[in-house]
Amino acid sequence: MTRPRIAPLGDGALTITWPGGISLETHRQVRAAAHRVRSAQLPAVRDLVPAYTTLSIFYDCQSADYETLARRVGELIEGDAADADFPPGREHRIRVVYDGPDLTDVARETGLSVAEVVARHTGRWYDVYLVGFVPGWAYLGELDPALSLPRRGSPRQRVPAGSVAIAGAQTGVYPFATPGGWHLIGRTDVSLFDPTRTPPALFQVGDRVRFEAT
Amino acid sequence: MISIVQAPAYLAVQDLGWPSSRSAGMPLSGAMDRWALTAANLMVGNAPDAAALEWALTGGRLRFGRDTQVAVCGPGVSTTLAFPAGGEFDLVRPTEGRFLYLAVSGGLDVPEVLGSRSTYMPAGIGHRLKAGDTVPMGAPSKGRPRMPAGAPNYESGVVRVVAGPQRELFTSPAWERFLESTWRVSRASDRMGYRLEGDVPVAAPAADLPSEAACVGAVQVPPDGLPIVLMADGPTVGGYPKIAVVISADLPVMAQRAVGGSLRFREVSIEESQAMLRDTVPLRSARGTWSSLG
Repeated sequence: MTRPRIAPLGDGALTITWPGGISLETHRQVRAAAHRVRSAQLPAVRDLVPAYTTLSIFYDCQSADYETLARRVGELIEGDAADADFPPGREHRIRVVYDGPDLTDVARETGLSVAEVVARHTGRWYDVYLVGFVPGWAYLGELDPALSLPRRGSPRQRVPAGSVAIAGAQTGVYPFATPGGWHLIGRTDVSLFDPTRTPPALFQVGDRVRFEAT
Repeated sequence: MISIVQAPAYLAVQDLGWPSSRSAGMPLSGAMDRWALTAANLMVGNAPDAAALEWALTGGRLRFGRDTQVAVCGPGVSTTLAFPAGGEFDLVRPTEGRFLYLAVSGGLDVPEVLGSRSTYMPAGIGHRLKAGDTVPMGAPSKGRPRMPAGAPNYESGVVRVVAGPQRELFTSPAWERFLESTWRVSRASDRMGYRLEGDVPVAAPAADLPSEAACVGAVQVPPDGLPIVLMADGPTVGGYPKIAVVISADLPVMAQRAVGGSLRFREVSIEESQAMLRDTVPLRSARGTWSSLG
């Protein structure tokens, strides 16, 4: 495995990047590194953001300077991920009403029947690769390649909260009413983000998600 | 409590936001000008991260429900005043910058959400204050008022940056263009980010990057070559290459740059940037802890 690269993300964070582009294997390295850094309980560290091929570490630079922290983190993440580095994530089964405004368009553009679109969307477990953009939004992958479509030509001004959507190799659920360019295939009444809950986001990186048609 | 008699076009409660909830997708949020909020708090003897009022665009009017010490801080404004119960106070329209801050002794006692009293409207946390709203005040602080140090040079047209994580994806001429151009703050700028306009865009790399963590001050270059500086409510992740990141010491200068205001970027090293922070007042909340990581 090629060594990851560490670089500053401003004066309060650093980003570790693994080479090789998006793959579950690379993402498992990210998750293992996040677990090792979290377990080390470095006092300067404030927050961790694991993503597809990167792990960003936010820290208090009054407690540790970049050089010192980068060296320490480099030592912690040395070596490939082992099974012990994967605390099991949670498994979520999300009940979905498949009646989204784009469902028939998705069926037409993919050449599948509506029932086949639903079967393929519900037919596999998705990994949570990244949580963010807006609170509670989770990037879930990978989508069945037969369902892969580019984003809509023009994004909607307002996508209702709870909309289940697909774009490219990904699927996700809109936590709030926001603008959005993904294809809406269904809806759920599950709360994706609740600031009174611990943790506030339903989906965490490392969790797995399965959709079920109701 | 404080009664809002007449609300500025934007008025909200802010503190130093959520330094440890990015794993849930919460932005840092909090005050756009963290120095001015901290300074106003210190001037009335509060902890630096107490909740205060942030306003913009227009003026307004408040009434105080009890005797209180008040500090107002921001570009061109730094005053402490004592008000009797029932006293009314005119919030001036910000003229030398975009945001002003009003702290009261004891801070504002709105409910904490995930450890912060900040307003983050996209997730429905808190709300923009309107005429007729009331805001509870905390018990008066017993702390000694302090004079804040290290005021930002708001009039400076120079915003210092460190090279961003994708700096190497930009060509040398593109990097030089970025540093040598005079940029103007576009009308399309808000608490999420400031779009910049310039005479010649920066040549953006064609790379299609997987989304990764962003941060406040990150300067993204979308395909049109016009940089976007992510601000307090900016998204926690993004896919555009980050050519540079504004240093924490200069975020207040960036935040207070008015629409149409011009600026240039200057590169400093990460060592210089962090040394500056260690020499100034504490700007970051000390509340972030490991226990809050999910």
